[in-house]
Amino acid sequence: MFKKNKFGKIITPLLLCLLAAAVLLIGIAYFNFISKKIYEDSTDHLSEIYDQVNRSFGAFVDRNWGLLESWDEYFAKENPDPAAVSDFIAKEKEYWGFSDFYFLSGGEAYMTASGSAGTMDLGDAKTNLTEQGEPIMAGDTPESGRDVIVFAAPAAPGSYNGFEYDAVAVSYNNADMASSLNVDAFSGKAKCFVVHNDGSVLLSTQTGGNVFENFLVYLKAASDISPDVLSQIGGDWQNGRSGLLQCKIGGVNYCILYQPVGYQDYILLSAVPQSVLSAGFLSVQKVTMNVLIIIFLLIGAAVIALLILRGRRLSRLNKTELRYRERMFDLLSNSVDDIFIMLDSANHNVDYISPNIERLLGIPLKDAQADIRVLEKCALGGDIVIPRDELEAIPLNGSKHRDYEYMHQSTGERRWYRMTVYHMSIADVKKYIIVLSDRTRDQLMNQKLQEALDAAKSANEAKSNFLSNMSHDIRTPMNAIVGFSVLLEKDADDPDLVREYTRKITASSHHLLSLINDVLDMSKIESGKTSLNVDCFSLPALFEELGIILMPQAKAKKQTFKTIVKGAPPEQLVGDKLRLNQILINLLSNAIKYTPDGGEIEFIVSELPSPTPQFAKIRFTVRDNGIGMSEEFLEQVFNPFSREISSVTNKIQGTGLGMAITKNLVDLMGGIINVESAPGKGSTFTVELTFTVPDAEEPETWLRRKIPRMLVADDEEDICLSIKELMRGTGVDVSFATDGASAVSAAVKAHKSGSGFNVILLDWKMPGMDGVEAAREIRAEIGADVPILVLTSYDWTDIETEARKAGINAFMPKPFFVSTLKQTLEPLFTDKDGTAAERTAEDDKVMEGLRFLVAEDNELNAEILKELLGMEGAECEIAVNGKEAVEIFENSAPEYYDMILMDVQMPIMNGYDATRAIRSLEHPSAKTVPIAAMTANTFAEDVRDALNSGMDGHLSKPIDMAAVKELVAKLINNKNNSGDGPKNENGGD
Amino acid sequence: MKFFKKKCLILLLAAAAAVLMTSCSGLAPDKNSDKVTLSVMGKESDLNKSYMTKIFDLYEKSTGNKLDIMSFEDSEYETTAVRKFAKGDVPDIFLHFHNADLNRFNVADNFCFLNDEKWVDDLTDGAEAYCRDKDGNLLGLPFWENSVSGCYYNKTILDGLGLKPATNQAEFDVLCQVLADTGYTPICWPADGCSWMAQFGLDPIFADDPALLERLNKNEVSYADIPEVNNMVNWISNAADKGWFGADYLETGWSEISPAIASGEAVMTFIWDTWFDTDFEPGGKYSKDDFAVMPVFMNTADSGTYEGGNLNMMMVNKNSENLEASLDFLDFCADPENYNKAFDGISTVNCFKGQTTNIQSKPVIDAAASIAANERVSTAASRINGYSADDVAAALHDMLSGKTDARGCIKRMDEYRITEAQNQVSDEF
Repeated sequence: MFKKNKFGKIITPLLLCLLAAAVLLIGIAYFNFISKKIYEDSTDHLSEIYDQVNRSFGAFVDRNWGLLESWDEYFAKENPDPAAVSDFIAKEKEYWGFSDFYFLSGGEAYMTASGSAGTMDLGDAKTNLTEQGEPIMAGDTPESGRDVIVFAAPAAPGSYNGFEYDAVAVSYNNADMASSLNVDAFSGKAKCFVVHNDGSVLLSTQTGGNVFENFLVYLKAASDISPDVLSQIGGDWQNGRSGLLQCKIGGVNYCILYQPVGYQDYILLSAVPQSVLSAGFLSVQKVTMNVLIIIFLLIGAAVIALLILRGRRLSRLNKTELRYRERMFDLLSNSVDDIFIMLDSANHNVDYISPNIERLLGIPLKDAQADIRVLEKCALGGDIVIPRDELEAIPLNGSKHRDYEYMHQSTGERRWYRMTVYHMSIADVKKYIIVLSDRTRDQLMNQKLQEALDAAKSANEAKSNFLSNMSHDIRTPMNAIVGFSVLLEKDADDPDLVREYTRKITASSHHLLSLINDVLDMSKIESGKTSLNVDCFSLPALFEELGIILMPQAKAKKQTFKTIVKGAPPEQLVGDKLRLNQILINLLSNAIKYTPDGGEIEFIVSELPSPTPQFAKIRFTVRDNGIGMSEEFLEQVFNPFSREISSVTNKIQGTGLGMAITKNLVDLMGGIINVESAPGKGSTFTVELTFTVPDAEEPETWLRRKIPRMLVADDEEDICLSIKELMRGTGVDVSFATDGASAVSAAVKAHKSGSGFNVILLDWKMPGMDGVEAAREIRAEIGADVPILVLTSYDWTDIETEARKAGINAFMPKPFFVSTLKQTLEPLFTDKDGTAAERTAEDDKVMEGLRFLVAEDNELNAEILKELLGMEGAECEIAVNGKEAVEIFENSAPEYYDMILMDVQMPIMNGYDATRAIRSLEHPSAKTVPIAAMTANTFAEDVRDALNSGMDGHLSKPIDMAAVKELVAKLINNKNNSGDGPKNENGGD
Repeated sequence: MKFFKKKCLILLLAAAAAVLMTSCSGLAPDKNSDKVTLSVMGKESDLNKSYMTKIFDLYEKSTGNKLDIMSFEDSEYETTAVRKFAKGDVPDIFLHFHNADLNRFNVADNFCFLNDEKWVDDLTDGAEAYCRDKDGNLLGLPFWENSVSGCYYNKTILDGLGLKPATNQAEFDVLCQVLADTGYTPICWPADGCSWMAQFGLDPIFADDPALLERLNKNEVSYADIPEVNNMVNWISNAADKGWFGADYLETGWSEISPAIASGEAVMTFIWDTWFDTDFEPGGKYSKDDFAVMPVFMNTADSGTYEGGNLNMMMVNKNSENLEASLDFLDFCADPENYNKAFDGISTVNCFKGQTTNIQSKPVIDAAASIAANERVSTAASRINGYSADDVAAALHDMLSGKTDARGCIKRMDEYRITEAQNQVSDEF
């Protein structure tokens, strides 16, 4: 089959070449034959023409001589007078076209018919005329300068006008003669001469005239005729022979024909360019050849065109079909997630690749077409995509497959493919067909199934752990409560034991409560129901609260608790203070909890750069040098129910929910939380949150007015600089010293100079001279007028008495805030007016004499609340559900109740509905009586729901009397101030 | 010895006294003498011609009058002379060719017409015709080398080829073609800067038809309207196309004529006879004796044409105080005895019938009959208002170099001519 095809490929062009060669050879042979034939015919034609010319010329000569003879006879016979001769000649001249008539004497002298006399030079012909009595033809150049031809014939001697003559003659102008020899057969391009046998030209047919003196001389000078041939020509002419020759004159081939005229020595000579001579024949030849060539070319062109058209049609059909198939395959491949590749097995060049490679792997189609090895870039795990040797090892018609994980080059998406390589032969060409079959969905499904399985296992395990932990954690306080309750009943008569049991029951209750709160929080967060209660809050206040809560815990464990503020964070922020508090308490209490006694805990607050001044990005860092966490536990520290199991942690109470709650709250607030920890080296938690900064308040002026100059003393220069930075906007001139002695010196020096400080802020614990000692010495020097404050992050209650004795006016918690300074200083400046001291006492009696309506379905809770309110000097009436509360209030006298405490979840009518009902009553106090929710639902949305129902505040259960007093004071105060009752505010919590 | 010294001393004193007396007589001319000094203005090269200096010397010696020769550099002559005339500084005798530039000098107001001078009959026809203006007034005495311009051909080459000179335009064309076919350059046509060629063709048109010349000068017709001008330009174009001027004629200038002619590369050229005495450089294959003359054929005259010489004329200031002396000066120059002394041995065609001592060229003598039959006065260059041989040559060059065709060439010839005529403040333009 192969040999046949190869032979078939060769035979066609071979036959075509042979055919062309045969045609060419035939053409050349034909051309040569035609050329030779044409030349022969041309020369024959030339000879024929000039035979005819010669005969015509001879007839012309004979005619003239005949005329001369006849005229001589006429003159001799008639002897006409000159006038008659003139008339006769004139008529003959007009008829025959000669230029003049002559009576000749001696072949030289002449007289014309008109009587003009002259001479003419007939050359050698004169002898023929005069001596031999022959008619002659000769050239002459008369005075006019124009050449003429003279025909003369002997005549009977006679006399004309007294002129004795013996011959008569006529003359023709050269041009007139030439016309008789002109040969039209050669388009006027043939030169025809009548020459003497020596070559001198008698006349020429050249248009315009003759410029040839001697044509033989001209041939000698201008042609390529050899001297021998010229000599032969001369001989021919001398001997009256004809001849034909070819020569080249001025690069043009001429055919020269000569033959004797038959009179005297005259030769008729013609010179015709060969191109002219053969023009007619050549044109036939050319036409014939052209026709043949054209026919051949047309046939050839037709064959080629047919072949080309056939080839193109087939090619077009093939291409079209191929395009259809490719297009269909492209479309097909675009609709599937499998990639198809065809490689040439010889060079591994890509013959085809489905265009979906760009979509599925992010590889540009062109790149893949250029080099299939581009796939290697996508293969994860450094896999070589079917190594070449492995590819070539696949047997023909065999296949091989392998699984790959690829990464999409644009999106980074991972996809899994099964690559199957088929080695096959297509049209005798070996190819590799590669199919990359997408297994991503299967893979992902498997992964998800595995993850789900793992998650289920983990959850199950976590819940088992949780239940186990909860069982233990709940049972522990419950055991204490139950146990101490039994003991309380037993030892009810021993007040000391009762107090001791009561204290332990309370502690266990609080622990149990925190457990419950955490579980509920987590449950709430996980169910996605947690939302933020965003409001403006004071950062210093937050820190103060944190200090109040956490400082005693740290103190109990003799830990150093430092609060450090870096930079100048805004004091007022907008955010969910409650959740922030929760986050920070979780972190800080854990730090305290998991740091051994005497350890160190740092709480660092720093402001990070924020893109706009409307937002503040705050980083809270809690660092301890406690027990730390293992690397494994760090990975799940934020997972719920996760507690590291160790001998230490086992002794510490916890639900394992704190960090999970914290993480979720941070996420909820759009922040980030990170942790770094190492076992035995402590932990560092970092929380970064972004808060809105409320519009700037009026510039602080009070401080500038009261304390134009302030001295700060702290052994940490950073703190001094921080305070100076924080005070920059107040207009207060801040100086600082980094030890107690320097502070004393600066204060004394300033006092003595008359520009003393208006307030002095001393760190408590400074190396060398501490704050108290420094205050004492300053007081000794400058007296008691200047307030001296002690800045401390420690609980100062132990040293308060000594400090006051030393002259210290007040304590300020670290970190330093301007607002804290102002709050600290204000009483000192207002104490002088005697107004501040009375406020605390009033606050303590805020509940006294008030009458509360309490809606509480839980009898025990209602009883406790009634007792607690009674302890504060307040009266209390109980409604067991919301409906009863509404009815009681409706039936009460105006202003009878000062406030309503409303449980939310109650039978018959819940607290929200009851509040709405009360607010809708016609009762005079319905709109004004303060109503506060009492609920275990302490989330922000619970507060919002309470307020939306018409309540004025929110108290979380279990009831904290301090919170009750604060809320009561606020609501009652608002009511009194407004005169028309409290308004719905977001106040009170 | 002592005697010898004394004798020498006496001789020296006598010589010194003689020199002193001579000098004194020069410094103090006789105030009562009627001798005059005539101012003669001309180009430096013209005035330095040997026959000019000879006639000036003869005059001064013979008459005792003086000639104040005012010669100017050739390139500055026209400008300087025009400026002097404008200031009224007109010389007694003014030398100028009878050409278009002469119009700048207000001939009618400044110069005498010399129609009645006694020497007029002694002038040859050609010379006399040259010096007359369009109204037939004789403007000056032609005192210059005369010449005959024609088609000077290499007779040796023609004889060697068995060819004879043409007697009419058709024969000339045949001759050119035969020469070209034979491998010769028929005509040396120096198209680069040689401006005289075309005027030979134009001469017959206007010399044979003075009325046509007058209409042309009155701007009633243009070259484009004249068939013969078209014939001439077309002939030049065709001749170039047929190779009759050879291959490099566009770069051929004055200095290339002699080598081309002397080497036999070119067979013919349109030139004047005295050129063979003044500018032909022997050393080539052929000498000046190999040349003969036939008429110029440029398709404007069937029998061809010769152009008579361009002659420097001596013109007389009609307003001069020395008018009589000036006319006497011309009479002196036109005296056969004097001019034969001046032109003794000079190669020139006769300006005066009585010229006998000059040398006439053999071609001219041999072609005397043809010249007599076909010579025309130099008409185009001297009679056509605004004619500039350079302008015509430039227009022809443009055509021959393919920048324009024959019609465009004639149009440019007209434009140049009219512009030049306007520059000459010709009333008709």
